[in-house]
Amino acid sequence: MIREIEVKVNGRLYRARVEPRTLLVHMLRDTLGLTGAHIGCVVGKCGACTVLWRGKQVKSCMVFAVQTAGTEILTIEGLQKDGELHPLQRAFWDMDAAECGYCTPGMLMAAYGFLLANPDPAEDEIKHAIAGNLCRCTGYRNIVEAIKKAARQLREADHGQHPER
Amino acid sequence: MSVKASESVRIGERIRRREAERLIAGKGTFVDDVPLAGTLYVGFVRSPYAHARIKSIDARAARSMGGVHAVVTGDDLVKELAEVRGGPARHVKVYPLAVGKVRYVGEPVAAVAADTRYLAEDAAENIAVEYEPLPAVVDPEKAMEESSAKLFDELESNIVYEYHFSTPDLDAVFQRADHVFSLRLNSHRLTPFPMEPRAYAAEYDAREGTLTCWASTAGPHGFRTRLAEILGFPESKLRVIAPDVGGSFGVKNGGYQDEVIVPLLALKLGRPVKWAETRIEHLRSARQGRDQIHYIDVAVNGDGTVVAIRDKIIADLGCSYGIDNSISSAALYVPGVYRIRNYRVDAYGIATNKANHGSLRGIGKAEAAFVIERTMDIVARRLGMDPVELRKKNFIPPEAFPYRSVTGALYDSGQYEKCLDQALELARYQQAKEEKKRLRGEGVYRGVGVAFVMEPTSSSRIYATGGYATCRIRIEPSGSVTVFSSVGDQGQGHGTTLSAIVASRIGFPLDKIFVIRGDTGATPYGFGTGSSRSSVVQMNAAYLAAERLREKLVKIAARNLRVPAKELAIRDGKISSAEDPTKSMSLREIVRLAYGAIHLLPEDEEPGLEVTSHFINPNIDYVADERGRMNTFSTYPYAAIVAVVDVDIETGFVKIVRYCTVHDCGNIINPQIVETQHYGSVVQGIGAAIYEHIVYDDEGQLLTASLMDYKVPTVEEVPDIQLGHLVTPSPFSPLGTKGAGETGMLGPPPALASAIEDALAEFGAEIRSTPYTPERVLALIREARKGSLRAGA
Repeated sequence: MIREIEVKVNGRLYRARVEPRTLLVHMLRDTLGLTGAHIGCVVGKCGACTVLWRGKQVKSCMVFAVQTAGTEILTIEGLQKDGELHPLQRAFWDMDAAECGYCTPGMLMAAYGFLLANPDPAEDEIKHAIAGNLCRCTGYRNIVEAIKKAARQLREADHGQHPER
Repeated sequence: MSVKASESVRIGERIRRREAERLIAGKGTFVDDVPLAGTLYVGFVRSPYAHARIKSIDARAARSMGGVHAVVTGDDLVKELAEVRGGPARHVKVYPLAVGKVRYVGEPVAAVAADTRYLAEDAAENIAVEYEPLPAVVDPEKAMEESSAKLFDELESNIVYEYHFSTPDLDAVFQRADHVFSLRLNSHRLTPFPMEPRAYAAEYDAREGTLTCWASTAGPHGFRTRLAEILGFPESKLRVIAPDVGGSFGVKNGGYQDEVIVPLLALKLGRPVKWAETRIEHLRSARQGRDQIHYIDVAVNGDGTVVAIRDKIIADLGCSYGIDNSISSAALYVPGVYRIRNYRVDAYGIATNKANHGSLRGIGKAEAAFVIERTMDIVARRLGMDPVELRKKNFIPPEAFPYRSVTGALYDSGQYEKCLDQALELARYQQAKEEKKRLRGEGVYRGVGVAFVMEPTSSSRIYATGGYATCRIRIEPSGSVTVFSSVGDQGQGHGTTLSAIVASRIGFPLDKIFVIRGDTGATPYGFGTGSSRSSVVQMNAAYLAAERLREKLVKIAARNLRVPAKELAIRDGKISSAEDPTKSMSLREIVRLAYGAIHLLPEDEEPGLEVTSHFINPNIDYVADERGRMNTFSTYPYAAIVAVVDVDIETGFVKIVRYCTVHDCGNIINPQIVETQHYGSVVQGIGAAIYEHIVYDDEGQLLTASLMDYKVPTVEEVPDIQLGHLVTPSPFSPLGTKGAGETGMLGPPPALASAIEDALAEFGAEIRSTPYTPERVLALIREARKGSLRAGA
């Protein structure tokens, strides 16, 4: 019952052999070797495996790999550009928003997907956006501060590129 | 951040966490991320019964499946392995897979190795186990009765541990006291819940004869020793690596029943083998914490002086395959921060058909803090005293330190009243009290609570935590510095704090310093993390080693510059004379010389620049005195808390309006790391107080086996947390540090109880048990109303 699918991950086209029941997170980790997305519960409740699928944040344990055939996925491994941390990642570092680091890739992807759609969020909206992502180390405070900081910086950078706005 | 990696630093600077860059980039390597070609995956068959005899296991169907490489059961292992370890009272043998009997839901019964994770689970499902169910032992108090079913046929009862301590003439003190109050106080069962469940991987190299095992553990060295003993494999040929570890909070300390299965299968099959625990498996079979009942009698004088405490502890230890130190930690520290000189405790550890009890952030000490703080609040209310004043009246005063407690504990240093005052100020306590009155007029049930918690840290128990740590530092010939830490890291930021300490002594920039931890192939023997010991033993070991290296560098410079060592200082990559700046040698030059030109070394110095230092807690008792008194922790950090809550009396929902805390963990190596640690610790404590609860039904079935039922706080449960520092250095180490990981977690259960009780004061509600879930708060209001109705009639 093995199927071969084509899927674009972080801009690169992969061919993967998967079972119909294979979860996206297992394909990413075990088949493609992209181990950035972690598994914390495998039932969609902890968010450690969050990635972007078709531009939106999704818990990759809640999607079958076959569903992603012919689509695009962005994982934590694709967030850096030319070896440089994304401003959101830099904000996480500056604000001490990662301790053990297990939830961090999922948290970052949830925040990244959220900011794509909501570049100027209120604090409550940020909290709501990451309420499905558990962190046991930090108490969340620095994560919220980091997302606020990154949103501000990304907006400023955006304004810098488009002075007419 | 104020410090660049290329600069040298001072202790106490706010340095960005060095290890975070990899983790944030998605380049962390947790056990399940370790790439091993041709890996086989393990699946476990686990008991669906809390208590049952295993009648038969039929694994024929699983064995015949394509892609299944091995099936093992308990009986197979009895033939192959040395006894795993003594269970309760060392009378009971415990094996990696159940033999004869299962004693909790989730106990491993058989294991398979297969080509994929999915296939391993399929194969496990194809193993048919026939059980004969036995009566489940669930309630620890009933389990003490003679008529109860027993977990261990070999033992006389379910009481698997006892601890007794008493000061003389206690009954007379109780008789003389003005008031005696009796309370039953209960801390409920929890699970530590790190984000990464347990995981193991192993690979046998047949050519070298070496077995490498990756484990998500807080104690790689201890695991290596156990593997050697259980597998009968030479420890010298074993290497355990704890790579990035996704949190522990106590659950990854010490051994596990099933921990040898992955390395055993790797040895048997000659292929890499992996197992990553699922969350359901974790909730069912990883060790759980708290769950103590305390029957307290407290004797108080009319002025509020607490003169004596009598405590009977009943601790639910679950299946008791390993017995932790929760009971003695609770028993030794119930008197807490108060000058109580008459004390008796009788403690009983009870085996029940639940997952094993074990370490959880603040083990035993959290239960003690809950008990004494609840007692202080309830005594204050019953005497009509202010809870703040009652605490201040009984505090150990600053001039009494180092203070020998009634149980023999030696508290290093503290300024309790100052800390409490600082917290009251931070919370604007009087203002909050007035606001509460005003809001009551508007129908809001607001409460303002206080608590004061002490967290004994840096445990030093024989064979368990040892009381010391070791650090080896090598300045490499090319000028980088390698720091080998005996203690691993599960997110505490040791890579940052250790390198800052080393940099501060030897003047090398941070980006030249590299910390190696968690690898038994490289690091000195150590006991792992636990009871916030790293900031005491490991950091001071690094300090001592770095200081010896600094002295050696300076002596080499002194010999070659022909100036007295005391004239020399390390600065800007050089060692120079303060008197004559032209007399100067670069660190680079000294390092090359130390390795290559040993005729230029001072006569008493050996070649190279490698130093190993131990820090041994100086103030520890390894055995109790004739009256049972002993000190098993070296430092005693503490925190004062003021919590403000609103209680919805219709729904029972508690909203935390503000949580203000001032803590004292002695000297701080990196404020950023301490603060983040403290926020996380407080939020875990809030989970423990309100949201999290491990629940078993009467048949020993776990009702909270997923995140749907076991509620871990999300960002939306986090209140406004305000944090203040007070610094009282520990006199017992060169750095003056104390543990910093746990005081945060201890605060919310007593502080929120205090605040909720205050909000419900008009009903006369008394909280005697955690957690404060809506249904329990509603029940509390109902009970209190009934009581006041009866009192009125």
